[in-house]
Amino acid sequence: MAEFVSRISVVCFAASYLVALACEASRLLFRSGIRGAVMVGFAAAGVVAHTLFLAWRAANEPAVPLSSAYDWYLLAAWFLACGSLWLTIANPRTPIGLFMLPLVLGLIGAAQLSSPVPFPQSPATQVWGAIHGIFNLAASVAVAFGAIAGMMWLIQAGRLARKQAPAQGFRMPSLEKLARFVGRSATTAAWTAAAGFASGLVLNAVNRQQGLLETVPWNDPVILRMGTLVAWLVIAALLERGMSRRPDGPRSAAVMSIVSLGVLTISILWGLFGASRHGGPPATAGQPAAVGMTATEGAP
Amino acid sequence: MTLAFAGGSHRTVPMDLRERLAFSADQAAEALARFRDRFPGSEGVLLSTCNRVEFYAAGENDAVPPAPGQIVDFLAECRGIDASVLKPVLAGENDAAAVHHLFAVASGLDSMVLGEPQIVAQVKQAWALAQEHRTAGPLTGEMFQAALRTAKRVATETAIGRERLSIPSIAVADFARGVFERFDDKRVLLIGAGKMAHETLRYLRDAGARDVTIVNRSTPRAEALAARLGARTGLFSDLVDELAKADLVVSTTGATAPVVTLEMFTGAERRRGGRPLLVLDLAVPRDFDPRIGSRAGVWLYSIDDLGAACEANRKTRQREMPGALEIVDEETRRFMGDLHHRSSAPLIEQLRAGWTETGEGELDRLFRRLPDLDEAARAEIRQSFQRYAAKLLHSPLTSLRNESHSGPPHGLLDALRRLFDLKD
Repeated sequence: MAEFVSRISVVCFAASYLVALACEASRLLFRSGIRGAVMVGFAAAGVVAHTLFLAWRAANEPAVPLSSAYDWYLLAAWFLACGSLWLTIANPRTPIGLFMLPLVLGLIGAAQLSSPVPFPQSPATQVWGAIHGIFNLAASVAVAFGAIAGMMWLIQAGRLARKQAPAQGFRMPSLEKLARFVGRSATTAAWTAAAGFASGLVLNAVNRQQGLLETVPWNDPVILRMGTLVAWLVIAALLERGMSRRPDGPRSAAVMSIVSLGVLTISILWGLFGASRHGGPPATAGQPAAVGMTATEGAP
Repeated sequence: MTLAFAGGSHRTVPMDLRERLAFSADQAAEALARFRDRFPGSEGVLLSTCNRVEFYAAGENDAVPPAPGQIVDFLAECRGIDASVLKPVLAGENDAAAVHHLFAVASGLDSMVLGEPQIVAQVKQAWALAQEHRTAGPLTGEMFQAALRTAKRVATETAIGRERLSIPSIAVADFARGVFERFDDKRVLLIGAGKMAHETLRYLRDAGARDVTIVNRSTPRAEALAARLGARTGLFSDLVDELAKADLVVSTTGATAPVVTLEMFTGAERRRGGRPLLVLDLAVPRDFDPRIGSRAGVWLYSIDDLGAACEANRKTRQREMPGALEIVDEETRRFMGDLHHRSSAPLIEQLRAGWTETGEGELDRLFRRLPDLDEAARAEIRQSFQRYAAKLLHSPLTSLRNESHSGPPHGLLDALRRLFDLKD
């Protein structure tokens, strides 16, 4: 069994998700009696392989489980994949996977571009590091779910405005449900991103105070992009709340949720390709630490 | 064995004649009893709906069922109509064509509203009535079971019955449900008391709507309708207030000018707190100023908008027709193949019995010559004989089955009779 699990690679579950996505996309082209079962089968197989892969890594990593940027992206992808599978089973007539699986595959792609080396940690910063990572993960997942609900809202509203009956195999949830989901996601994303940012600051302060690990300067790109992201998410949540009693409030909230995903994506790309001291090892005499690192703790 | 049907539908029979030809439940029971007396040994099923009257007859072995012409005479006699009036408008078919027709009817392919599902229940009822009055038999039983199976396949494998076609059903299922997730916490406002409003409200009630207010220029009429529908009434003069409180409006007045102008709506809009408003304007001419539809958070649908969605759905159903007909063709071929194969059953049984008898005789002779064989050895030898006979029979039986798909296998059956000296 252990040997079997050890042979599971990223390609296994990425390929399963890709086939499930292709099945989902084929809804737009033709009808099929068995497509639903095939799609759920591949998505479920992907989730199982993904789970085993992460479990194997968690059990066999010498450092704190799943503490590299690589693991962080794969964990975020896993949450979205589980959400996609659950929502597909609960709403078989809605093409949830068409929206969620590209994000899952995108996160898996981001994982391939990031470092699998665990972030250096000391016992004093382990807890803060975990809190920082978990909150950032929750914020990213909330942003992704909110943006998907926002896209669906706009598609559904477009269909209703054009006065067309729903297309075969492309039935969206109601505007009421989607607007509620967008609102909740915006609030969750703002709170968790703020908590992730705050815990990152605490982590940095502990590092600075104890001289355990490299501290991140205030003008570090990671601080700037995370600060921008948090600021945007808080503004978006406040705007969403403030506009909820206006007739065009749901539309604005849907658009803002998509913008939030855009800001998050830019933040991730910046993290992947930009230079930072975030998550770096302690500086040694005469050598600036971790400049040019791309691995980021609690990415994005 | 023979299958026959005669009957007519909305396609060929004018409505006044269809009304005279239609059978009530009692009249259908009486007709079936009369059929039993008139054609003893034959099976018969009467399918009578508001759009069609058809009689299916069948006979197995010596029982010859009535021909389509006789069925038309029988129907005319039952309904007291001159047969010469019916003959030009009623159709009749035999065997595979009759089966194909029933399968298409049960699948809703011959219905006025293509793919409508009610016909399945009507076919089931017709069959149940025939069973109750003992005119149903094994042949019509198999035929009707196969028809229901075909209808199920058409319903699940094509989208022919999936798209809605009535304006109220489309208004609620495709548009109201697109805006609102639930209706039990929504306030429904009915302006006017037209028939379409009543029908739409029925769908809304099914969806969970409870809070309904009726506003009509004639208060007594609104009160009468409210009492019937379990709703409350509002004053027509308070229409703006009612609009401010409503989530969903169904409007069906007979007014010749818009009942809700943009100015009126703007007055209500300020008090709505940004809640979305769905308006189903089912009146002609329209009750709502069309400019209201461009206000944020307002989803306004006129009867023309909903009619266009109906038409699109109708076209979708038409596109599914070839796939549905393929299923009907395939099921007809399968049914007729099984039926033809069944006609060869007595001969096969005779052949098998003859071979078994010969085998048993040979075994007895063998066991007498080998008295030392124990029971286990005897059983083993007996099984070998049976397997040998089954293998020899396999090829002719397969050929018979294959031949049955293209019609009764008379040639092969005749050859078997002559080769193995079998009797009819």
